[in-house]
Amino acid sequence: MLAKIGDWLDERFSWREVWAAIFERKVPHVNWFYTLGSATLFVAINQAITGILLTLYYVPTPDHAYDSVVYITTQLPFGWLIRGLHHWGASAMVVLTVLHLLRVFYFGAYKYPREATWITGIILLLIVIGFGFTGYLLPWDQKSFWATTVGTQIIGLAPFVGDWMLRIARGGRDISAVTLARFFGTHVWILPATLAALVGIHLYLVIRIGITGVPKKDE
Amino acid sequence: MDKSEGKQLGRRNFMKVAIASIGGVIGAAIGLPAIPYIMGPALQKESDDWIQLGSISKVELNIPTLFKKTIETQTGWIDTEEEISAYVLTSNGQDYVVMSNVCTHLACRVRWIPEQDSFFCPCHNGVFAKDGAVVAGPPPRPLDRFESKVEDGVIFIKRG
Ligand code: HEM
Repeated sequence: MLAKIGDWLDERFSWREVWAAIFERKVPHVNWFYTLGSATLFVAINQAITGILLTLYYVPTPDHAYDSVVYITTQLPFGWLIRGLHHWGASAMVVLTVLHLLRVFYFGAYKYPREATWITGIILLLIVIGFGFTGYLLPWDQKSFWATTVGTQIIGLAPFVGDWMLRIARGGRDISAVTLARFFGTHVWILPATLAALVGIHLYLVIRIGITGVPKKDE
Repeated sequence: MDKSEGKQLGRRNFMKVAIASIGGVIGAAIGLPAIPYIMGPALQKESDDWIQLGSISKVELNIPTLFKKTIETQTGWIDTEEEISAYVLTSNGQDYVVMSNVCTHLACRVRWIPEQDSFFCPCHNGVFAKDGAVVAGPPPRPLDRFESKVEDGVIFIKRG
């Protein structure tokens, strides 16, 4: 039965070809460091699922953001787990992305013809940091508030355009309801959309070009 | 050749099973808790405390009388006030019936119209008699009644 449905779909989508290209492609004999990109992808998926679950209850307004987070953690069944996974996953995301970058760097995997893979990777790193920065404000507790005060103040130090960028980041002179709403929108719409698009390109390139082998001594 | 191929297949299958089971465990670890997480608020029980509506002295014989009571409730993370409205009816000054003002059709609020001697629901023209029986329109059953009690001339209801 299942095989039949598979055949029916394959006749119209040729999905087996796509499957083979992704999962049955030839790879050189590599080591565990080459799993870091996949590990990052795995945590990214975890962040997406737990993040979507959090938005079922979280509200981005100063009068209720903190209460909604407390409600999630203390009142809801397994709310602590969903929030915990998202919280620790956020740190894991940054650590894994950087380790993956280091693997690519030390193995020389950024060289021709993989420059575009590297550049999309750099943008991905910036997006991951952006996730961390915007997400940190959302619980709207003392730590969030002052960390974001300091973080956005740093933007203001840029020469000439600093003050202007600071106001754009905060949505005004001070951290306010406007700041919380735009950080939330950035965290759940802008960044996820760009991340998805760039991961798509990144992985397309990885599969299309094939991954590097472990460099030899004389390379 | 044959031997090594057999080995290859064994290893391949082992990996398939391993990946599927580890993946299954991880999927279940997030997927299963997600179910109570989503359903949590729906499963919460409403309190069954007696709610004091007010003095019955204003209730005249055979005229449904509207009582409004504001109670403090907590919905999710917000403390709010909720207004409960109920019609109190008595035919003998001894036994009291307390009816909900929620239409049994699709939950709009009904209103007592003295001139027509009936309850009227503006959403789909449902009409109920003074005891709550359906007179006209789409409502499938009479107006719901609250469990109630009278103590020292004060009427209480229970929401259930
Ligand atoms: C969200 C973040 C990222 C994800 C999900 C991701 C995912 C992946 C995956 C699954 C691979 C396959 C090979 C491997 O795992 O090592 C890969 C390869 C690669 N990544 Fe990333 N990556 C991310 C960020 C980055 C960053 C920050 C860089 C560097 C600036 C980068 C540069 C590369 C390059 C150059 C390759 C090709 C490596 C080769 O051919 O051996 N990636 N990426």
